[in-house]
Amino acid sequence: MSRIVKDWKGNHWTAVGLLALGGLAAVLAGLRFSSMHRLERIDPGPGLTRQGLLSDYFPPLAGTPGDTGVYVFEGQENGGNVLVTGGAHPNEPAGFVASVLLIENLQVKKGRILVIPRANASGFTCNDPQEANPQRFTVETASGPRQFRLGSRLTNPVHQWPDPTLYENPAGQMLSSLEVRNLNRCYPGRPKGYLTEKIAFAIMELIRKEGIDIGIDLHESAPEYPVINAIVFHDASAELAAMAQMSLQFEGLEFRLEASPVNLRGLSHREWGDAAGIKAVLIETPNPVQGRLKGKTTAGLVVDGKDKNYLKAFRLGRLFIPYDEGGVPLSRRVARHIAAITAVLEAQAELEPEKAVEVENLPGWKQILDEGLGPFLR
Amino acid sequence: MDIVYRLIVLYFVIHIVIHLFGRKKFWDQFSAVVVLVLFFLRLFLIK
Repeated sequence: MSRIVKDWKGNHWTAVGLLALGGLAAVLAGLRFSSMHRLERIDPGPGLTRQGLLSDYFPPLAGTPGDTGVYVFEGQENGGNVLVTGGAHPNEPAGFVASVLLIENLQVKKGRILVIPRANASGFTCNDPQEANPQRFTVETASGPRQFRLGSRLTNPVHQWPDPTLYENPAGQMLSSLEVRNLNRCYPGRPKGYLTEKIAFAIMELIRKEGIDIGIDLHESAPEYPVINAIVFHDASAELAAMAQMSLQFEGLEFRLEASPVNLRGLSHREWGDAAGIKAVLIETPNPVQGRLKGKTTAGLVVDGKDKNYLKAFRLGRLFIPYDEGGVPLSRRVARHIAAITAVLEAQAELEPEKAVEVENLPGWKQILDEGLGPFLR
Repeated sequence: MDIVYRLIVLYFVIHIVIHLFGRKKFWDQFSAVVVLVLFFLRLFLIK
């Protein structure tokens, strides 16, 4: 039998037939890949006062895959201005989902909060190659299952190509080739640079034009990476971060404090502070999907964060976080982000009362742990 | 830059199609088509 199959003859007609089948396969795969370019819905809550685009602050970004939504929440009283960015790395879902939760629940009494949920919108249109990551993950909500995209750490190469052999970022640091598409290595950006540098420049323009006082960048990292469950702070925000950490510890949430290294350039927690003079912090939570020790990568791993390899690694003392059979579910990671944002706002109110930002209608971290994400997503 | 990328991919697509019609064995043709599917996606900047 195998000999017969092996010896099948081909001619021009079989070539045409196979070409047609190949075309059909390309169309089906193309539809699947193209669906990644469709943005999932975000339903802002009643606290939203204005919605715009990042290109409003840097018009050359308009119409490009780097343009993205900016959601503004303004209080009745004057106060400080805070920027929250999620999705700088779209393969770090807790940062994105925490931003969506903010947009759908937040109400500001004093000051202003600007939220960019998809800081690198292009990265949401593709996956990281060779990671076998799922395209989407599902969160159960009161209105039914809700899907979110799991994107790539980097800008889609379809949108920015080719990568240089070595990349000197706008802050003057030499990096490896791929980092040219990593938004969190491209600050403070270049107005006429690569697409990712333009996105970074547009965010800097937003910070300048909106008079931002505090920038909070939401991220995740692999459980075996030392900078995890952490608040990374710029020199100018050391006191703010320390007070936030103490407040979180009182509530029973352990966060490390990590000073932003002065010679690690191009990252938000360094350049937002150096180039724009604001208090910059970056929040890290653990994400097994990003790690090298993970087993099979599934949508379930994104949401439940349970992986037997990580359990084994923890028992061998190889992780920088506590890890048990319960894993590190997305709800817990989002709860940590929301708790950290709240703690930073409370610390700011104590340090600079005239630049305080007061919010309401945000769930506490214990409430998210008890009830899950569903009740807080529309 | 898009046009440069597309021209490079198109060059390879043409060569693979010529190779496909030159093969006399079914499985050789099949292998060429499997490669072509990926190149089609690149040609239209989908993947």
